[in-house]
Amino acid sequence: MDLDQLAIHANRFLAVVRRVPRLPFVTLAIAALASCSAPPASRSPGLTILPASASDLIALAARPGASATLVNVWATWCVPCREEFPDLLRLGRRYRERGLRLMLVSADFDSAAARAFLVTQGVAFPTYFKTGDDMGFINTLSPRWSGALPATFVYDGAGRLVRFWEGKAGHGQFEQAVRAAMGRTDRPHPKEKTR
Amino acid sequence: MISRNPPRWPALAAATLAIALLAPRAGALALGEAAPKSDVLMKNVDGRELSIASVQGAKGTLVLFTCNHCPWVKAWEGRMVQIAAQARQRGIGAIAINPNDPAAYPEDSYENMQKRARERGYGFPYVVDSTSDVARAFGATHTPEAFLFDARGALVYHGAIDDNARQPGKVKARYLSDAVKAVAAGKPVAAAETKALGCSIKFRGGK
Repeated sequence: MDLDQLAIHANRFLAVVRRVPRLPFVTLAIAALASCSAPPASRSPGLTILPASASDLIALAARPGASATLVNVWATWCVPCREEFPDLLRLGRRYRERGLRLMLVSADFDSAAARAFLVTQGVAFPTYFKTGDDMGFINTLSPRWSGALPATFVYDGAGRLVRFWEGKAGHGQFEQAVRAAMGRTDRPHPKEKTR
Repeated sequence: MISRNPPRWPALAAATLAIALLAPRAGALALGEAAPKSDVLMKNVDGRELSIASVQGAKGTLVLFTCNHCPWVKAWEGRMVQIAAQARQRGIGAIAINPNDPAAYPEDSYENMQKRARERGYGFPYVVDSTSDVARAFGATHTPEAFLFDARGALVYHGAIDDNARQPGKVKARYLSDAVKAVAAGKPVAAAETKALGCSIKFRGGK
């Protein structure tokens, strides 16, 4: 992570903390600083893996500035997760300018395994690593989630969960859900108007 | 001219969404229900054809959807074998069912199941759900996933083995073990529905 990126992330953290002081960003901020001091990944300089609870993820999904947020919980050992990963990244690239926030959350036992996979996939942005016990994590994200992986949660620009499913999806399903979430947004992202 | 009656669809959509979000996940066997497809014969690792009904114990029946390849199963396997043994000692029948399509996961083939059961000392049947229809009927979605029925055949526990797959020494809640003890004693199960992360079942013929 270079100094400009560090400054951007720091400003975003501070902006959010100031705006919603009670949100659980302290652990994430500490983790972000810790990750900055770690040696950078050789081929993905923007890649970070921040520990996050389900509450952290929901709070992050509700941050202003996105027209939709897609949270995908995956693991390196999960074959369908690996299979859908390229479609997710393609969607992320295609819809980034339209305000999509893509949050990849590893449920691996070991973050080193997750990092190795993310590097091979060319991921060069902040990602997350599940913390906390399974049942609390599952039920906080959705009481309808059985715990099967992968699991995908799509939020609108106001942080409301509008789509959820477990199991593998393709680009079409991801795109449809994201477009639906963007359509529900009360405060459309400015870039959406120029689409 | 502005209508005095605002459109109702946003409210209806919000209500539908709220119902969808709050409803229990569709398809999962509910507490109190009996084991579906309990007479379906499935091939055991010893070559015999067994059904869930054929392993029923005097005090209950433990049905475990599991497989070979899943790291979550591997992490819990020792505890699963131990709990199943304790269940059988207490008069509760036990059966492990592999619903995965081995075309997707070669590690889950019948031959590999035989090898795994032998190597890990499974003291209970480990059978093939050759159509994945038994798992579908239970509403099982991932491995490992446990269903425990009492002496009357009613589902009294559904969920995880315990609350910490990766660190056995840090387990705080022994969900399945406690449920087995309660059922054997004819007592209600305190935590009847629990959850944990696991590997999606690869159903034969698509989901």
